Amino acid sequence: MDRGLLYYVMIPLLALAALFQSAVLPRLEVRGVKPDLVLLLVLIGVLIYGPRISLLWAFVGGLFLDIFSGGPMGVSSLALMAAVAVTGVGHHTLSRYHLLVPIGVAIVGSIAYGATYLGVLMVLDRLAAILDWNLAQHDIQFWPTVEVVLAPAVLYNTILMIFAIPLLNRVPENQEAVTTFQ
Amino acid sequence: MRNTERRPRTLGDVGIRLLILSLAALLLMALQLTGRLKPIQSAITQLTSPAQTSASGVAENVSQTFSFLAELRTLRQRAAELEQINANLLVENFRLREVERENQQLREMLNFAETRPGLELRGAQIVARVIGQESNNFLDYIMLDLGTRHGVAVGMPVITPQGLVGRVSEVTNTTSKVLLITDPSSAVNAILQSSRINGVVRGDPGGGLVMDYIPQGVLFSVGEIVLTSGLGGNFPKGIPIGQVVDIKQRDIDVFQRAIVQPTVDFSSLELVMVVTNFNPLEIGPELQPPAETPAGSPAEGAPPVDQTAPSGTEGGAPGVIVQPPPGEEPAGGKPAAGGQ
Repeated sequence: MDRGLLYYVMIPLLALAALFQSAVLPRLEVRGVKPDLVLLLVLIGVLIYGPRISLLWAFVGGLFLDIFSGGPMGVSSLALMAAVAVTGVGHHTLSRYHLLVPIGVAIVGSIAYGATYLGVLMVLDRLAAILDWNLAQHDIQFWPTVEVVLAPAVLYNTILMIFAIPLLNRVPENQEAVTTFQ
Repeated sequence: MRNTERRPRTLGDVGIRLLILSLAALLLMALQLTGRLKPIQSAITQLTSPAQTSASGVAENVSQTFSFLAELRTLRQRAAELEQINANLLVENFRLREVERENQQLREMLNFAETRPGLELRGAQIVARVIGQESNNFLDYIMLDLGTRHGVAVGMPVITPQGLVGRVSEVTNTTSKVLLITDPSSAVNAILQSSRINGVVRGDPGGGLVMDYIPQGVLFSVGEIVLTSGLGGNFPKGIPIGQVVDIKQRDIDVFQRAIVQPTVDFSSLELVMVVTNFNPLEIGPELQPPAETPAGSPAEGAPPVDQTAPSGTEGGAPGVIVQPPPGEEPAGGKPAAGGQ
Protein backbone atom coordinates (compact mmCIF):
# COMPACT_ATOMS: atom_id res chain seq x y z
CA MET A 1 0.00 0.00 0.00
CA ASP A 2 1.57 3.27 -1.13
CA ARG A 3 0.40 6.12 1.01
CA GLY A 4 3.04 8.54 -0.18
CA LEU A 5 5.55 10.56 1.81
CA LEU A 6 3.07 13.26 2.74
CA TYR A 7 1.07 10.84 4.87
CA TYR A 8 4.02 10.14 7.16
CA VAL A 9 5.35 13.69 7.42
CA MET A 10 1.99 15.39 7.80
CA ILE A 11 2.12 15.96 11.57
CA PRO A 12 5.64 17.47 11.62
CA LEU A 13 4.59 19.48 8.57
CA LEU A 14 1.55 20.76 10.47
CA ALA A 15 3.78 21.81 13.37
CA LEU A 16 6.06 23.67 10.97
CA ALA A 17 3.09 25.25 9.22
CA ALA A 18 1.63 26.43 12.53
CA LEU A 19 5.00 27.91 13.51
CA PHE A 20 5.30 29.55 10.10
CA GLN A 21 1.74 30.84 10.33
CA SER A 22 2.42 32.35 13.72
CA ALA A 23 5.87 33.84 13.10
CA VAL A 24 6.13 34.54 9.38
CA LEU A 25 2.71 34.87 7.75
CA PRO A 26 1.73 38.01 9.66
CA ARG A 27 4.35 39.70 7.45
CA LEU A 28 2.46 38.55 4.35
CA GLU A 29 -0.82 40.13 5.33
CA VAL A 30 -2.89 41.64 2.55
CA ARG A 31 -5.39 44.21 3.81
CA GLY A 32 -5.17 42.78 7.31
CA VAL A 33 -5.84 39.20 6.20
CA LYS A 34 -3.33 36.37 6.20
CA PRO A 35 -3.60 32.91 4.64
CA ASP A 36 -4.46 29.85 6.75
CA LEU A 37 -1.58 27.54 5.95
CA VAL A 38 -2.56 24.80 8.40
CA LEU A 39 -6.09 24.80 7.00
CA LEU A 40 -4.72 24.45 3.48
CA LEU A 41 -2.51 21.53 4.51
CA VAL A 42 -5.43 19.78 6.18
CA LEU A 43 -7.60 20.35 3.10
CA ILE A 44 -4.86 18.89 0.91
CA GLY A 45 -4.90 15.92 3.29
CA VAL A 46 -8.64 15.56 2.73
CA LEU A 47 -8.19 15.66 -1.04
CA ILE A 48 -5.52 12.98 -1.05
CA TYR A 49 -6.23 10.75 1.94
CA GLY A 50 -9.88 11.40 2.74
CA PRO A 51 -11.62 12.71 5.84
CA ARG A 52 -10.85 9.86 8.25
CA ILE A 53 -7.16 10.49 8.86
CA SER A 54 -7.56 14.19 8.06
CA LEU A 55 -9.79 14.61 11.11
CA LEU A 56 -6.87 13.58 13.29
CA TRP A 57 -4.56 15.95 11.44
CA ALA A 58 -7.12 18.72 11.87
CA PHE A 59 -7.24 18.09 15.61
CA VAL A 60 -3.46 18.03 15.97
CA GLY A 61 -2.94 20.97 13.60
CA GLY A 62 -5.48 22.99 15.57
CA LEU A 63 -3.63 22.27 18.81
CA PHE A 64 -0.35 23.41 17.22
CA LEU A 65 -2.04 26.62 16.06
CA ASP A 66 -3.45 27.37 19.50
CA ILE A 67 -0.14 26.61 21.23
CA PHE A 68 1.93 28.82 18.95
CA SER A 69 -0.51 31.69 18.78
CA GLY A 70 -1.88 31.74 22.30
CA GLY A 71 -5.48 31.46 21.12
CA PRO A 72 -8.22 29.72 23.07
CA MET A 73 -7.21 26.05 23.21
CA GLY A 74 -9.35 23.70 21.13
CA VAL A 75 -11.15 26.32 19.03
CA SER A 76 -8.84 25.95 16.02
CA SER A 77 -9.14 22.15 16.26
CA LEU A 78 -12.93 22.35 16.17
CA ALA A 79 -12.88 24.76 13.25
CA LEU A 80 -10.41 22.65 11.26
CA MET A 81 -12.41 19.48 11.96
CA ALA A 82 -15.56 21.23 10.73
CA ALA A 83 -13.72 22.09 7.51
CA VAL A 84 -12.65 18.45 7.10
CA ALA A 85 -16.14 17.14 7.84
CA VAL A 86 -17.71 19.41 5.23
CA THR A 87 -15.12 18.94 2.49
CA GLY A 88 -14.67 15.22 3.13
CA VAL A 89 -18.22 14.46 2.06
CA GLY A 90 -17.38 14.48 -1.62
CA HIS A 91 -14.06 12.70 -1.31
CA HIS A 92 -15.14 9.43 -2.92
CA THR A 93 -17.44 10.83 -5.56
CA LEU A 94 -15.32 13.64 -6.97
CA SER A 95 -11.90 13.30 -8.56
CA ARG A 96 -9.33 15.59 -7.03
CA TYR A 97 -7.62 15.87 -10.42
CA HIS A 98 -10.49 17.97 -11.69
CA LEU A 99 -9.45 21.63 -11.48
CA LEU A 100 -12.64 22.75 -9.79
CA VAL A 101 -12.47 20.21 -6.97
CA PRO A 102 -9.44 21.63 -5.08
CA ILE A 103 -10.76 25.14 -5.65
CA GLY A 104 -14.18 24.16 -4.34
CA VAL A 105 -12.59 22.42 -1.35
CA ALA A 106 -10.56 25.56 -0.56
CA ILE A 107 -13.65 27.77 -0.74
CA VAL A 108 -15.99 25.49 1.21
CA GLY A 109 -13.28 24.51 3.71
CA SER A 110 -12.30 28.12 4.38
CA ILE A 111 -15.92 29.13 4.89
CA ALA A 112 -16.55 26.20 7.23
CA TYR A 113 -13.34 26.93 9.16
CA GLY A 114 -14.03 30.64 9.50
CA ALA A 115 -17.72 30.27 10.31
CA THR A 116 -17.03 27.61 12.94
CA TYR A 117 -14.24 29.64 14.53
CA LEU A 118 -16.46 32.71 14.65
CA GLY A 119 -19.39 30.68 15.93
CA VAL A 120 -17.38 29.08 18.75
CA LEU A 121 -16.02 32.50 19.77
CA MET A 122 -19.54 33.93 19.84
CA VAL A 123 -20.84 30.98 21.87
CA LEU A 124 -17.93 31.38 24.32
CA ASP A 125 -18.78 35.08 24.64
CA ARG A 126 -22.42 34.32 25.34
CA LEU A 127 -21.50 31.65 27.90
CA ALA A 128 -19.00 34.00 29.53
CA ALA A 129 -21.70 36.64 29.86
CA ILE A 130 -24.26 34.17 31.24
CA LEU A 131 -21.94 32.29 33.60
CA ASP A 132 -19.92 35.37 34.57
CA TRP A 133 -16.64 33.85 33.42
CA ASN A 134 -13.55 35.97 33.43
CA LEU A 135 -13.08 35.92 29.67
CA ALA A 136 -12.18 38.59 27.17
CA GLN A 137 -15.42 39.75 25.52
CA HIS A 138 -14.74 39.80 21.82
CA ASP A 139 -17.94 41.54 20.76
CA ILE A 140 -17.64 39.99 17.32
CA GLN A 141 -20.50 40.74 14.97
CA PHE A 142 -20.99 37.86 12.60
CA TRP A 143 -21.89 39.45 9.27
CA PRO A 144 -19.51 42.43 9.35
CA THR A 145 -16.71 40.02 10.23
CA VAL A 146 -17.71 37.70 7.42
CA GLU A 147 -17.57 40.62 5.01
CA VAL A 148 -14.32 42.18 6.23
CA VAL A 149 -12.32 39.12 7.30
CA LEU A 150 -13.80 35.84 6.19
CA ALA A 151 -14.46 36.66 2.53
CA PRO A 152 -10.93 37.98 1.85
CA ALA A 153 -9.45 35.01 3.74
CA VAL A 154 -11.45 32.61 1.56
CA LEU A 155 -10.15 34.39 -1.53
CA TYR A 156 -6.56 34.33 -0.25
CA ASN A 157 -6.73 30.61 0.62
CA THR A 158 -8.30 29.78 -2.73
CA ILE A 159 -5.55 31.57 -4.63
CA LEU A 160 -2.92 29.67 -2.64
CA MET A 161 -4.74 26.40 -3.35
CA ILE A 162 -4.65 27.18 -7.08
CA PHE A 163 -0.87 27.55 -6.82
CA ALA A 164 -0.70 24.24 -4.95
CA ILE A 165 -2.71 22.28 -7.56
CA PRO A 166 0.28 21.33 -9.79
CA LEU A 167 2.09 19.91 -6.75
CA LEU A 168 -1.08 18.23 -5.54
CA ASN A 169 -1.56 16.48 -8.89
CA ARG A 170 1.92 14.96 -8.66
CA VAL A 171 1.04 13.07 -5.47
CA PRO A 172 -0.08 9.54 -6.49
CA GLU A 173 -3.59 8.33 -5.77
CA ASN A 174 -3.79 6.92 -2.28
CA GLN A 175 -4.40 3.17 -2.44
CA GLU A 176 -5.95 3.03 1.00
CA ALA A 177 -8.53 5.64 0.10
CA VAL A 178 -9.39 3.68 -3.05
CA THR A 179 -10.05 0.49 -1.12
CA THR A 180 -11.93 1.82 1.85
CA PHE A 181 -15.35 2.17 0.28
CA GLN A 182 -15.40 -0.98 -1.85
CA MET B 1 -3.98 -4.25 -6.73
CA ARG B 2 -6.75 -3.17 -4.42
CA ASN B 3 -6.92 -4.78 -1.04
CA THR B 4 -10.53 -5.91 -0.71
CA GLU B 5 -9.88 -7.83 2.51
CA ARG B 6 -9.62 -4.65 4.51
CA ARG B 7 -12.52 -3.79 6.76
CA PRO B 8 -14.76 -1.35 4.90
CA ARG B 9 -14.80 2.09 6.41
CA THR B 10 -18.11 3.85 6.41
CA LEU B 11 -19.21 7.39 7.10
CA GLY B 12 -20.07 6.11 10.56
CA ASP B 13 -16.38 5.59 11.29
CA VAL B 14 -15.69 9.18 10.32
CA GLY B 15 -18.63 10.37 12.40
CA ILE B 16 -17.43 8.53 15.51
CA ARG B 17 -13.92 9.89 15.04
CA LEU B 18 -15.32 13.40 14.55
CA LEU B 19 -17.40 13.07 17.70
CA ILE B 20 -14.51 11.81 19.84
CA LEU B 21 -12.09 14.47 18.62
CA SER B 22 -14.71 17.22 19.01
CA LEU B 23 -15.32 16.13 22.59
CA ALA B 24 -11.57 16.17 23.18
CA ALA B 25 -11.38 19.72 21.81
CA LEU B 26 -14.32 20.80 24.00
CA LEU B 27 -12.65 19.18 27.00
CA LEU B 28 -9.47 21.13 26.29
CA MET B 29 -11.51 24.32 26.04
CA ALA B 30 -13.22 23.59 29.35
CA LEU B 31 -9.91 22.79 31.03
CA GLN B 32 -8.47 26.06 29.80
CA LEU B 33 -11.50 28.05 30.94
CA THR B 34 -11.22 26.55 34.42
CA GLY B 35 -7.49 27.31 34.50
CA ARG B 36 -6.43 23.69 34.85
CA LEU B 37 -4.48 23.75 31.63
CA LYS B 38 -2.30 26.67 32.66
CA PRO B 39 0.71 24.71 34.05
CA ILE B 40 0.80 22.48 30.97
CA GLN B 41 0.35 25.45 28.65
CA SER B 42 3.11 27.31 30.44
CA ALA B 43 5.46 24.33 30.11
CA ILE B 44 4.63 23.87 26.43
CA THR B 45 5.09 27.58 25.76
CA GLN B 46 8.50 27.47 27.39
CA LEU B 47 9.41 24.58 25.14
CA THR B 48 8.11 26.17 21.96
CA SER B 49 9.13 29.78 22.52
CA PRO B 50 12.78 29.20 21.41
CA ALA B 51 11.49 27.80 18.10
CA GLN B 52 9.17 30.77 17.72
CA THR B 53 11.98 33.18 18.54
CA SER B 54 14.23 31.54 15.95
CA ALA B 55 11.50 31.48 13.29
CA SER B 56 10.66 35.09 13.96
CA GLY B 57 14.35 36.02 13.72
CA VAL B 58 14.77 34.18 10.42
CA ALA B 59 11.61 35.79 9.05
CA GLU B 60 12.88 39.19 10.12
CA ASN B 61 16.22 38.63 8.37
CA VAL B 62 14.56 37.38 5.19
CA SER B 63 12.16 40.30 5.28
CA GLN B 64 15.04 42.74 5.68
CA THR B 65 16.93 41.10 2.82
CA PHE B 66 13.92 41.41 0.51
CA SER B 67 13.40 45.00 1.59
CA PHE B 68 17.03 45.72 0.81
CA LEU B 69 16.76 44.10 -2.63
CA ALA B 70 13.61 46.07 -3.37
CA GLU B 71 15.35 49.25 -2.33
CA LEU B 72 18.26 48.62 -4.70
CA ARG B 73 16.02 49.41 -7.66
CA THR B 74 15.32 52.90 -6.44
CA LEU B 75 18.73 53.54 -5.00
CA ARG B 76 19.69 56.36 -7.34
CA GLN B 77 16.53 58.26 -6.72
CA ARG B 78 16.91 57.69 -3.01
CA ALA B 79 20.51 58.90 -3.12
CA ALA B 80 19.46 62.22 -4.65
CA GLU B 81 16.72 62.59 -2.08
CA LEU B 82 19.09 61.71 0.72
CA GLU B 83 21.61 64.27 -0.43
CA GLN B 84 18.94 66.91 -0.21
CA ILE B 85 17.88 65.66 3.20
CA ASN B 86 21.51 65.58 4.27
CA ALA B 87 21.91 69.24 3.42
CA ASN B 88 18.83 70.09 5.44
CA LEU B 89 19.99 67.96 8.33
CA LEU B 90 23.35 69.68 8.36
CA VAL B 91 21.63 72.95 9.10
CA GLU B 92 19.41 71.24 11.62
CA ASN B 93 22.46 69.66 13.21
CA PHE B 94 24.04 73.02 13.96
CA ARG B 95 20.87 74.10 15.69
CA LEU B 96 20.60 70.85 17.66
CA ARG B 97 24.18 71.11 18.84
CA GLU B 98 23.23 74.34 20.46
CA VAL B 99 20.21 72.69 22.02
CA GLU B 100 22.37 69.80 23.23
CA ARG B 101 24.78 72.18 24.87
CA GLU B 102 21.90 73.86 26.61
CA ASN B 103 20.46 70.49 27.57
CA GLN B 104 23.78 69.43 29.07
CA GLN B 105 23.87 72.54 31.19
CA LEU B 106 20.34 71.91 32.40
CA ARG B 107 21.19 68.30 33.29
CA GLU B 108 24.15 69.42 35.30
CA MET B 109 21.95 71.88 37.10
CA LEU B 110 19.34 69.29 37.92
CA ASN B 111 21.69 66.42 38.80
CA PHE B 112 18.84 64.43 40.30
CA ALA B 113 20.61 61.24 41.10
CA GLU B 114 23.28 62.73 43.33
CA THR B 115 21.53 65.53 45.10
CA ARG B 116 18.10 63.97 45.56
CA PRO B 117 18.33 60.23 46.09
CA GLY B 118 14.62 60.13 46.97
CA LEU B 119 13.71 60.97 43.40
CA GLU B 120 14.80 57.73 41.85
CA LEU B 121 14.50 57.52 38.09
CA ARG B 122 13.70 54.10 36.81
CA GLY B 123 13.90 52.57 33.38
CA ALA B 124 10.24 52.65 32.52
CA GLN B 125 10.35 50.43 29.53
CA ILE B 126 11.79 47.10 28.58
CA VAL B 127 12.23 46.10 25.03
CA ALA B 128 10.59 42.87 23.95
CA ARG B 129 10.81 40.99 20.71
CA VAL B 130 7.60 39.84 19.05
CA ILE B 131 7.95 36.08 18.65
CA GLY B 132 4.48 35.17 17.46
CA GLN B 133 1.21 36.58 16.31
CA GLU B 134 -2.30 35.21 16.45
CA SER B 135 -2.42 32.92 13.49
CA ASN B 136 -6.02 33.39 12.50
CA ASN B 137 -7.79 36.43 11.15
CA PHE B 138 -10.30 36.92 13.96
CA LEU B 139 -8.22 37.70 17.04
CA ASP B 140 -5.28 40.05 17.45
CA TYR B 141 -2.66 38.90 19.90
CA ILE B 142 1.12 38.92 19.85
CA MET B 143 3.53 36.85 21.88
CA LEU B 144 6.59 38.48 23.46
CA ASP B 145 9.81 36.88 24.62
CA LEU B 146 9.56 38.43 28.07
CA GLY B 147 7.68 37.09 31.08
CA THR B 148 7.36 37.41 34.83
CA ARG B 149 11.07 36.64 35.11
CA HIS B 150 11.73 39.99 33.41
CA GLY B 151 9.26 41.96 35.47
CA VAL B 152 6.32 41.78 33.09
CA ALA B 153 2.88 41.51 34.67
CA VAL B 154 -0.69 41.31 33.42
CA GLY B 155 -2.15 44.69 32.54
CA MET B 156 1.09 46.43 31.65
CA PRO B 157 0.81 48.69 28.61
CA VAL B 158 2.81 47.78 25.52
CA ILE B 159 3.97 50.56 23.22
CA THR B 160 6.30 51.40 20.37
CA PRO B 161 7.79 54.81 19.63
CA GLN B 162 4.91 55.23 17.17
CA GLY B 163 2.19 54.69 19.75
CA LEU B 164 0.04 52.28 21.71
CA VAL B 165 0.20 48.57 20.87
CA GLY B 166 -1.93 46.96 23.57
CA ARG B 167 -1.68 45.51 27.05
CA VAL B 168 -0.31 42.31 28.50
CA SER B 169 -3.16 39.84 28.97
CA GLU B 170 -1.33 36.69 30.03
CA VAL B 171 2.15 36.03 31.36
CA THR B 172 4.27 32.94 31.79
CA ASN B 173 7.81 32.82 33.16
CA THR B 174 9.45 33.65 29.88
CA THR B 175 6.71 34.78 27.53
CA SER B 176 3.74 37.08 27.59
CA LYS B 177 0.65 37.48 25.47
CA VAL B 178 -0.40 40.96 24.44
CA LEU B 179 -3.95 41.84 23.50
CA LEU B 180 -3.60 44.35 20.68
CA ILE B 181 -5.79 47.44 20.58
CA THR B 182 -7.04 46.21 17.21
CA ASP B 183 -8.64 43.13 18.79
CA PRO B 184 -12.44 43.35 18.97
CA SER B 185 -12.30 42.74 22.73
CA SER B 186 -10.02 45.70 23.30
CA ALA B 187 -11.33 49.07 24.48
CA VAL B 188 -9.14 52.09 25.23
CA ASN B 189 -10.36 55.38 26.66
CA ALA B 190 -9.16 58.01 24.22
CA ILE B 191 -9.22 61.71 23.57
CA LEU B 192 -8.97 63.74 20.38
CA GLN B 193 -5.90 65.94 20.64
CA SER B 194 -7.26 69.20 19.20
CA SER B 195 -10.95 69.13 20.06
CA ARG B 196 -10.40 67.40 23.46
CA ILE B 197 -13.38 65.10 22.91
CA ASN B 198 -13.44 61.84 24.84
CA GLY B 199 -14.42 58.46 23.43
CA VAL B 200 -13.54 54.81 23.46
CA VAL B 201 -11.30 53.30 20.80
CA ARG B 202 -12.27 49.74 20.00
CA GLY B 203 -10.73 47.16 17.71
CA ASP B 204 -12.56 46.30 14.58
CA PRO B 205 -12.51 42.87 12.91
CA GLY B 206 -10.02 43.23 10.10
CA GLY B 207 -7.42 45.12 12.08
CA GLY B 208 -8.89 48.62 12.09
CA LEU B 209 -9.82 50.95 14.94
CA VAL B 210 -13.08 52.72 15.67
CA MET B 211 -13.49 55.57 18.15
CA ASP B 212 -16.97 55.23 19.60
CA TYR B 213 -19.14 57.02 22.13
CA ILE B 214 -18.42 60.46 20.72
CA PRO B 215 -21.40 62.63 21.69
CA GLN B 216 -23.66 63.92 18.94
CA GLY B 217 -23.31 67.63 18.30
CA VAL B 218 -19.62 68.02 19.07
CA LEU B 219 -17.42 69.01 16.17
CA PHE B 220 -14.16 67.40 15.23
CA SER B 221 -12.38 66.86 11.98
CA VAL B 222 -10.64 64.24 9.91
CA GLY B 223 -6.91 64.24 10.58
CA GLU B 224 -7.15 64.76 14.34
CA ILE B 225 -4.70 62.77 16.45
CA VAL B 226 -6.19 60.28 18.90
CA LEU B 227 -4.39 59.85 22.21
CA THR B 228 -5.02 57.76 25.30
CA SER B 229 -7.01 59.82 27.79
CA GLY B 230 -5.82 58.05 30.92
CA LEU B 231 -9.45 57.66 32.05
CA GLY B 232 -10.12 54.28 33.58
CA GLY B 233 -6.50 53.96 34.63
CA ASN B 234 -5.60 51.16 32.23
CA PHE B 235 -3.16 53.17 30.14
CA PRO B 236 -0.92 56.16 30.76
CA LYS B 237 -2.24 59.41 29.40
CA GLY B 238 -1.09 60.93 26.13
CA ILE B 239 0.10 57.89 24.17
CA PRO B 240 -0.70 58.26 20.46
CA ILE B 241 -3.23 55.74 19.16
CA GLY B 242 -3.95 56.92 15.64
CA GLN B 243 -5.44 59.52 13.39
CA VAL B 244 -9.07 60.09 12.45
CA VAL B 245 -9.53 59.19 8.78
CA ASP B 246 -13.33 59.14 8.56
CA ILE B 247 -16.33 60.26 10.59
CA LYS B 248 -19.52 58.22 10.80
CA GLN B 249 -22.32 60.52 11.91
CA ARG B 250 -25.98 59.57 11.61
CA ASP B 251 -28.79 61.49 13.26
CA ILE B 252 -30.52 58.28 14.33
CA ASP B 253 -27.51 57.16 16.36
CA VAL B 254 -26.88 58.16 19.95
CA PHE B 255 -23.18 58.64 19.34
CA GLN B 256 -20.87 59.56 16.50
CA ARG B 257 -18.07 57.22 15.47
CA ALA B 258 -14.67 57.94 13.98
CA ILE B 259 -12.62 55.53 11.93
CA VAL B 260 -9.07 55.68 13.23
CA GLN B 261 -5.91 54.77 11.34
CA PRO B 262 -3.47 53.33 13.91
CA THR B 263 -0.10 55.05 14.17
CA VAL B 264 1.49 51.66 14.79
CA ASP B 265 1.96 49.37 11.80
CA PHE B 266 0.72 46.16 13.37
CA SER B 267 1.68 44.07 10.36
CA SER B 268 5.39 44.70 10.89
CA LEU B 269 5.74 44.74 14.65
CA GLU B 270 9.19 43.51 15.63
CA LEU B 271 10.25 45.25 18.80
CA VAL B 272 7.90 46.69 21.37
CA MET B 273 8.33 48.21 24.81
CA VAL B 274 6.54 47.07 27.94
CA VAL B 275 5.89 49.87 30.41
CA THR B 276 6.75 48.12 33.64
CA ASN B 277 6.27 50.91 36.12
CA PHE B 278 2.70 51.81 35.28
CA ASN B 279 0.14 50.49 37.74
CA PRO B 280 -3.03 49.77 35.81
CA LEU B 281 -6.28 50.05 37.73
CA GLU B 282 -8.28 46.88 37.10
CA ILE B 283 -11.65 48.52 36.77
CA GLY B 284 -12.10 47.99 33.06
CA PRO B 285 -12.81 50.61 30.44
CA GLU B 286 -15.40 53.11 31.56
CA LEU B 287 -17.75 54.63 29.09
CA GLN B 288 -18.13 58.23 30.06
CA PRO B 289 -21.67 59.57 29.62
CA PRO B 290 -21.48 62.44 27.17
CA ALA B 291 -23.33 64.88 29.43
CA GLU B 292 -20.83 64.42 32.23
CA THR B 293 -17.76 64.66 30.06
CA PRO B 294 -17.86 67.98 28.27
CA ALA B 295 -15.35 68.70 25.56
CA GLY B 296 -12.50 70.72 26.93
CA SER B 297 -12.12 68.96 30.25
CA PRO B 298 -10.68 65.61 29.28
CA ALA B 299 -8.75 64.73 32.37
CA GLU B 300 -11.43 65.48 34.91
CA GLY B 301 -11.94 62.51 37.12
CA ALA B 302 -8.80 60.84 35.89
CA PRO B 303 -7.18 58.65 38.53
CA PRO B 304 -4.04 59.95 40.27
CA VAL B 305 -1.83 57.57 38.30
CA ASP B 306 -2.60 59.47 35.13
CA GLN B 307 -1.72 62.75 36.69
CA THR B 308 1.82 61.61 37.32
CA ALA B 309 2.35 60.98 33.66
CA PRO B 310 3.28 63.91 31.45
CA SER B 311 0.43 65.06 29.30
CA GLY B 312 0.23 65.89 25.65
CA THR B 313 3.13 64.03 24.17
CA GLU B 314 2.63 64.93 20.60
CA GLY B 315 3.70 62.12 18.37
CA GLY B 316 6.97 61.56 20.18
CA ALA B 317 7.89 58.90 22.69
CA PRO B 318 5.17 58.74 25.29
CA GLY B 319 6.11 60.05 28.68
CA VAL B 320 6.03 56.94 30.73
CA ILE B 321 8.85 57.54 33.17
CA VAL B 322 6.79 58.12 36.24
CA GLN B 323 7.84 58.51 39.81
CA PRO B 324 6.49 55.76 42.04
CA PRO B 325 5.22 56.90 45.42
CA PRO B 326 7.82 56.66 48.21
CA GLY B 327 8.21 53.13 49.48
CA GLU B 328 6.14 51.62 46.72
CA GLU B 329 7.53 49.34 44.07
CA PRO B 330 6.33 49.76 40.52
CA ALA B 331 4.31 47.05 38.81
CA GLY B 332 6.52 44.09 38.06
CA GLY B 333 8.16 44.27 41.46
CA LYS B 334 11.69 44.94 40.31
CA PRO B 335 13.56 47.37 38.14
CA ALA B 336 13.03 46.76 34.49
CA ALA B 337 15.69 44.68 32.83
CA GLY B 338 17.36 46.51 30.02
CA GLY B 339 15.85 49.81 31.11
CA GLN B 340 17.82 52.90 31.67
